[in-house]
Amino acid sequence: MAVLSDITNEFIRQEIEEYLERPEEIERNIELFARVRPAMQEIAAALIEGEDGEVDRLTKQALDGGTEALEIMDDGLIAGMGIVGIKFREAMIFVPEVLACARAMKAGMKYIEPILSDSGVKPIAKVLMGTVKGDLHDIGKNLCTMMLRGSGFEVVDLGVDISDDEFIDAIEEHQPSILGMSALLTTTMPNMGKTIEALIDADVRDDVMIMVGGAPVTQEFADDMGADGYGKDALSCVSLAKSLAKSLAGERG
Amino acid sequence: MERISEMFTDMVAHAEAVCKTRCPYRDRKDRCTAEFRCRNQRQPETAGAPLICGHDGEFDYRSAWESNPLAHARTKKKLGEIRDGATRRRAASRRKKTD
Repeated sequence: MAVLSDITNEFIRQEIEEYLERPEEIERNIELFARVRPAMQEIAAALIEGEDGEVDRLTKQALDGGTEALEIMDDGLIAGMGIVGIKFREAMIFVPEVLACARAMKAGMKYIEPILSDSGVKPIAKVLMGTVKGDLHDIGKNLCTMMLRGSGFEVVDLGVDISDDEFIDAIEEHQPSILGMSALLTTTMPNMGKTIEALIDADVRDDVMIMVGGAPVTQEFADDMGADGYGKDALSCVSLAKSLAKSLAGERG
Repeated sequence: MERISEMFTDMVAHAEAVCKTRCPYRDRKDRCTAEFRCRNQRQPETAGAPLICGHDGEFDYRSAWESNPLAHARTKKKLGEIRDGATRRRAASRRKKTD
């Protein structure tokens, strides 16, 4: 049976010692990290700290050094995210830290995903996400993005304060199956409707399925503005995206 | 991918619960990570440091983001105007083409 001192990475040892309390989780993580290579422990440590630049560098270095993509994903990225999940559950960290860690995971997955894709693991669909013009809120969008990526979607996140033209340009550039728009204010919500009308005018409306969400958005508003779906939270966003992707694939034949 | 999905599902479910009483832009050091203004933002003691969240967990913070939380009726009307305007504009454009 492995012990804490079997883990070579000091940061990981400290994380387990300081933040894990449930005996089964302590044992599982000690066993896990004692088994994995030091380079994978380093990746996990960088992810736990939300250091996306470092995860990017270390993942590339590991791949260039001949480490298998799945080993990096399982023993570095997922292992690190497991610690993040525990710390979040125990209120040691909160949503901003979790999103920083999710960004770090994305930085590593950027190299892993093409390798998985080459071996037949394709994304379910491509989703374009953005918060509408005039709105700087992004937490809900970021949680949806995290969920979609974790569920096998390819996501292009345009960020916040996105104009009609920027959405249109992005649709033409990235050719997504789904466009997801977020608004957190009743004053910016109409911009969702404006964007949908702009997509019609630009003749790209039929190329995408549109889902909308955000605190003030309701199914009624989604129907009024001509969206294809409404996601009331990040969890329902994934099932909605799957259903919209299926509808579009069915239409395209 | 299934393991990632399961892990994220748990985390997002927890985030939804936490967000009912704690602003999701408030980090573990009680600093505000929002890019927008909020009534709960307080100046830090050190100049140039990130803003501090003054929310005390006793009320729904979300009202601080919304300048007029009772604006749903106005929004619905605005959406209707946008759609009607777009429909009229397209009809006028089609008439011009056929003329």
